[in-house]
Amino acid sequence: MKFTISALATAAALTALPGFAQELVLSIGSRGYGPAVERNIERYAAENPDVSIEWNKVSDVPGETRKLYVTGLTAKSPTPDIYAVDVIWAGEFAQRGWLEPLNGLLDEATIDAFNPSLLAASTVDGEVHALPLYADGIHFFYRTDLLEKYGLDVPQTWEEVLAASQTITEGEGNPQLYGFVSMWAKIEGLFMNWLAFANGNGGGFYDAEGNVAVNSPANIEATQFMVDLLHEHRITPDSILNARPDDARTLFQQGRAAFLMVQDFVHAPLSADNSPVAGKFDFTRVPYFEGHEDANSTTMGGWFLGINPNSDNKEAAADFLAHFTAQEQQLTAAVEDNRAPTIPGIYDNDAMKGNAVLAKFGKNYDYGVVRPSAGSGSKYPRVSEIMQLEITNALHRQKTVEEALNDAQAQLDALLSE
Amino acid sequence: MTNMTSPLDRRRHLTGMAFITPTMAVIIAILVYPILQSIVLSFGQSSIDGSEPYSFVGLKHYATLAGNERFWNSLWVTLVFTGLSIPLELAMGIGLAVLLNEHFRFKGIARLAVLFPWALPTALNTLMWRWMYNTDYGLFNAAALQSGIVDRPINWLGDETLAMGSMVVVAVWKTSSFMALIILAGLQSIPRELYEAGRMDGMTRWQEFREITLPLLKGPILVALIVRSMDALRTFELPFNLTDGGPVTATESLSLYAYKVIFDFIEFNYGAAIVVVQFLVIFAMSLLYILTLRNKD
Repeated sequence: MKFTISALATAAALTALPGFAQELVLSIGSRGYGPAVERNIERYAAENPDVSIEWNKVSDVPGETRKLYVTGLTAKSPTPDIYAVDVIWAGEFAQRGWLEPLNGLLDEATIDAFNPSLLAASTVDGEVHALPLYADGIHFFYRTDLLEKYGLDVPQTWEEVLAASQTITEGEGNPQLYGFVSMWAKIEGLFMNWLAFANGNGGGFYDAEGNVAVNSPANIEATQFMVDLLHEHRITPDSILNARPDDARTLFQQGRAAFLMVQDFVHAPLSADNSPVAGKFDFTRVPYFEGHEDANSTTMGGWFLGINPNSDNKEAAADFLAHFTAQEQQLTAAVEDNRAPTIPGIYDNDAMKGNAVLAKFGKNYDYGVVRPSAGSGSKYPRVSEIMQLEITNALHRQKTVEEALNDAQAQLDALLSE
Repeated sequence: MTNMTSPLDRRRHLTGMAFITPTMAVIIAILVYPILQSIVLSFGQSSIDGSEPYSFVGLKHYATLAGNERFWNSLWVTLVFTGLSIPLELAMGIGLAVLLNEHFRFKGIARLAVLFPWALPTALNTLMWRWMYNTDYGLFNAAALQSGIVDRPINWLGDETLAMGSMVVVAVWKTSSFMALIILAGLQSIPRELYEAGRMDGMTRWQEFREITLPLLKGPILVALIVRSMDALRTFELPFNLTDGGPVTATESLSLYAYKVIFDFIEFNYGAAIVVVQFLVIFAMSLLYILTLRNKD
């Protein structure tokens, strides 16, 4: 009985407290923006002592995070209040009513500061549904010490990558050392990889007229090259077929691969003090095939922050969101963590001078290609699934490259005409 | 004498009803309602946020299913997985149960140890196995490479046949102990006198096992088979955590396929049709077992 009374008293005291702390839940992974998330929350807490922010660290595998969100959003759960969405979901989630329109919650100047082409990805019916947090893309990482040892230049084309891999692996004679590693598991990253190869050969998802043309001769040739890297030249490990970005990064970091192709985020762990390859690696733009040096082969990605329409604290969430993505926070993230800002003005800031890594990331983004998510809207998950499945069929030699891409084309035609 | 209901009988009847009503209400709410809802969804077209009202489309989704290679593949994968893992689990389970029924030191600890794989959550077990299967750092490849059996790592989870085999191994490792537990309970209910009589007749240990133990274990074995088959036909956490259905779709079970359709593609109606088919498969399997059980009595 005593317990009940004291519990009631506590509850009464809590509700009577003036300015009772508001609680917000933020869902974002720790890999892409980790150090910045902690810093931004601390900064916000210092200015807003009456708001407490809980960081719900979600999976760094986007597909897994997506499933988590879909479950919660379908059930109209009020948490999280603010959540990070992949650029490829922004349009779809907005269409489905899973992101609160921001135009009414934030003033125009705040929204207009962002890169308009990024904002377009989350704009549905003229309303912005999420703010871009950072942009990223895939890059080609290489071991400077190994290239130097064998007197090789930094490979620019896939043909050079193949030749350099063969020279290095034969020279080292170590069965534990592979030439090229990347993320070829049946995940979104595989589709990003394929776009890099296909566009690097003058192909791509669309043809010059904007029609879906995944089975074009240039694409077939590029895909065949991927299959040959694995089965014919054997410069990639068999495990590349199960590898997600971090699996590939781990192999490279442990000195077991000469070349690695994944997103920006690996730069931080690779250059950490305890990394075996720290100081022994550098990166360049994604390779292209001979004769296609102007190809847009850097597959782009990025993350947005939006507000859950079922949140109980939309106003507070909007205030936090604006603070989190504001110029000041993005500038620190750019300088400290090499995260590419989404507010164009930041690149001209004096504090940015001397950040060679981000400048190089930025140069690679000049050759950027985006995934066809804007064109396919809420059908994008199925578009990506068709491509992932058929590319996997080709990589496992369940189908010839031509069969696989023809099948993909037929399924895409049927899906997109629905 | 047809109208025997005295006020007392009626009151007893009402009291009984009152006692079972809450239980029935819960069962209807969490079991019957979702099943009916799935069936309703599978015959219609609707949107999850209610922007598109429910419209009846008849067998449209079932027709799509019938022509979908990926659906047939997942059904086949599910049946192969069940067909391979259940007999192995049963054999292991009987073996373990017979061993654990013997008297030896530390019997209590041994019984506890056998239950360990079953007591841990499947997702956790599976992640542990995924590391052991890992091509570049895994235990199995380290052993195989260092002992010189192979000179290139085996891609356990990246090869169609090996991936299914690897999955069956995890299932057998995990659930044999469950079979053993049920069968052990059955073993302990067999009267000792039967064995004594057998020994007097000069039976060997093998004859005892075949003539006394096995026939008397039929009941527990059938129960174990029903429960495990239903589990295997619904298998989800295992392929989801071990292979995500890959390579390609070589280990994509019905549950995993339905999950992808519902949560990745957000097609609840089509997904519901898959779930209903799965329900029918499990229902048919259970019916088969129950009929077999009845005939034996």
